[in-house]
Amino acid sequence: MSFIISTHINYYFICRRKLWLFTHGIHMEHESDLVYEGRMIGEVSYTDRSKKYTEIEIMGSKIDYYDPNRKIVHEVKKSDQMEIAHEWQVKYYIWLLKQSGIEDVEGILEYPKMKIKKKVILTEEDENTLKQIVKDIELIINQKSCPPCIHKKYCHSCSYFDFCYIIE
Amino acid sequence: MYIILVYDVDEKRVSKMLKLCRRYLNWIQNSVFEGEITEVKLKELVHHASRIMDTECDSLIIFRTRQEKWLEKMVIGKEKNEISNMI
Amino acid sequence: MKKSYYLFNPGRMSRKDNTLKFTPVDEEGNEGVPKYIPVESVNNLFCFGSMDANSSLFNFLGKQQILVHFFDYYEHYTGSFFPKDYLLSGKVLIAQAEHYLQPEKRMSLATRFVEAAAFNMLKNLRYYDNRGKETGIQIEKIESYLNQIPFAETVDSLMGIEGNIRMSYYEAFDIIINEFEMGNRTMQPPSNEVNALISFVNMLCYTLCLDMIYHTQLNPTISFLHEPGERRFSLALDIAEVFKPVLVDRLIFSLLNKRQLSDADFDKNLQYCLLKESGKKTVIEAWEAKLNETIKHRSLKRSVSYKHLVKLECYKLVKHIMGVEEYKPFKAWW
Repeated sequence: MSFIISTHINYYFICRRKLWLFTHGIHMEHESDLVYEGRMIGEVSYTDRSKKYTEIEIMGSKIDYYDPNRKIVHEVKKSDQMEIAHEWQVKYYIWLLKQSGIEDVEGILEYPKMKIKKKVILTEEDENTLKQIVKDIELIINQKSCPPCIHKKYCHSCSYFDFCYIIE
Repeated sequence: MYIILVYDVDEKRVSKMLKLCRRYLNWIQNSVFEGEITEVKLKELVHHASRIMDTECDSLIIFRTRQEKWLEKMVIGKEKNEISNMI
Repeated sequence: MKKSYYLFNPGRMSRKDNTLKFTPVDEEGNEGVPKYIPVESVNNLFCFGSMDANSSLFNFLGKQQILVHFFDYYEHYTGSFFPKDYLLSGKVLIAQAEHYLQPEKRMSLATRFVEAAAFNMLKNLRYYDNRGKETGIQIEKIESYLNQIPFAETVDSLMGIEGNIRMSYYEAFDIIINEFEMGNRTMQPPSNEVNALISFVNMLCYTLCLDMIYHTQLNPTISFLHEPGERRFSLALDIAEVFKPVLVDRLIFSLLNKRQLSDADFDKNLQYCLLKESGKKTVIEAWEAKLNETIKHRSLKRSVSYKHLVKLECYKLVKHIMGVEEYKPFKAWW
């Protein structure tokens, strides 16, 4: 059995087609300078503070920066354009930690480029929503056919753009 | 994008700087490199470089242009390293 | 944008300080001044000369996802260093195999390759026909072969039609090319300048397709038109069919007709004709320039390089085999 990982949660909010493709092993992230930069921003912003944080993996999801003493999950992103997806991604981390017996964890969502920090907490209601989201995700990824293109403005900056839009 | 990179760093750090730049660009003469590079790779290079440098006394200068063809290059005297992808 | 590096001179390639170092070594074993190749700029390496290397280099190249293509003295392609796939997808692999195993699915893809190749060949012939080179007979022949395609029931018979199309197409080369004569298509070894050029540039096209396949989830050994081969990455041959008329043949016509190549660039004797190093360098330069040329893409509505067109073709194939969208092969629309 494969886990629902945080990337699934993130893509669920951004694009179901991307979610389906990703789950079917069609990865495009390596093609994208944006993705590469995103990863770099994470590394660069934390190189000096790295001692406090450890990288942990729970049920397939990798949390890059977790501070076990203060029980804080850090997530660094490039821009807040997809804030809702980022928020749920962090909530999902907190939920996963909770399921492994680590309670009262808080999250900090950080956009170092824009100098914005946001606190994220997981409420009981969020937990129910997450349960529903996971169910939805399972439905989508088990679908036989690939969900259609969503034709959003942000398709242009997606690493799957060429893949989705190339026709002939 | 096409860039020319020059650095002036203390002797103690020269070799580190040289090794770093060789990974991304073509060496053309002492402390000078040039080559095609993407925006992110340049960011990465600059990030690594700034960790080597002592910004109080070292410097790194980057000249950038969109494409190599918009750069007129003249070499007087001995060309120390001709850049070519045919070796 | 990462580049291809072509190694003509003998020497030793090694890993040094996390980048590549090439030390020329002459026949007497004397070492020349080393040259560093910025590893971050390398897409792949072509080895024409003799290269010494050790496993540490190949481990490093593998990690950097750099392919290396090897050629013998007669510039025959002998093989590639193909690093471990980094984009594995079990689901794509199974779907790809299924499209080979099910005759209908395989035929459907194979037919598309042949039709697109023929379309692009006709495009070339019509272009020259409009410019006073009378290729009308060949155009007619190819069109009549094209009409036979729907009746082909097996891949073998389709391959037969493809062979006939290509033969008629090559007949037109002597009409299109001014100075040199081609005669029959001969390989291994090529008998004259035109044949030598076709072999060399076809090989460049094959390696280009292979490189692009490597950077997708497709498996290079499962092909549809060509029989999955033991010796070759045959999916690269399938994809190359579509692009050869556009990338290879147009380049050959222009290199010869604009006299960018002359007799002096070939090494010719009774048995064979091969490109000299000077000739290879001229061809590679023109090839690289061609790949970086851009066209405005109709479906993407942005400029893309010819090189990227090949990558896009791989995406279309992935979409087809995964049932996302039917494969519409690349047909030169301008």
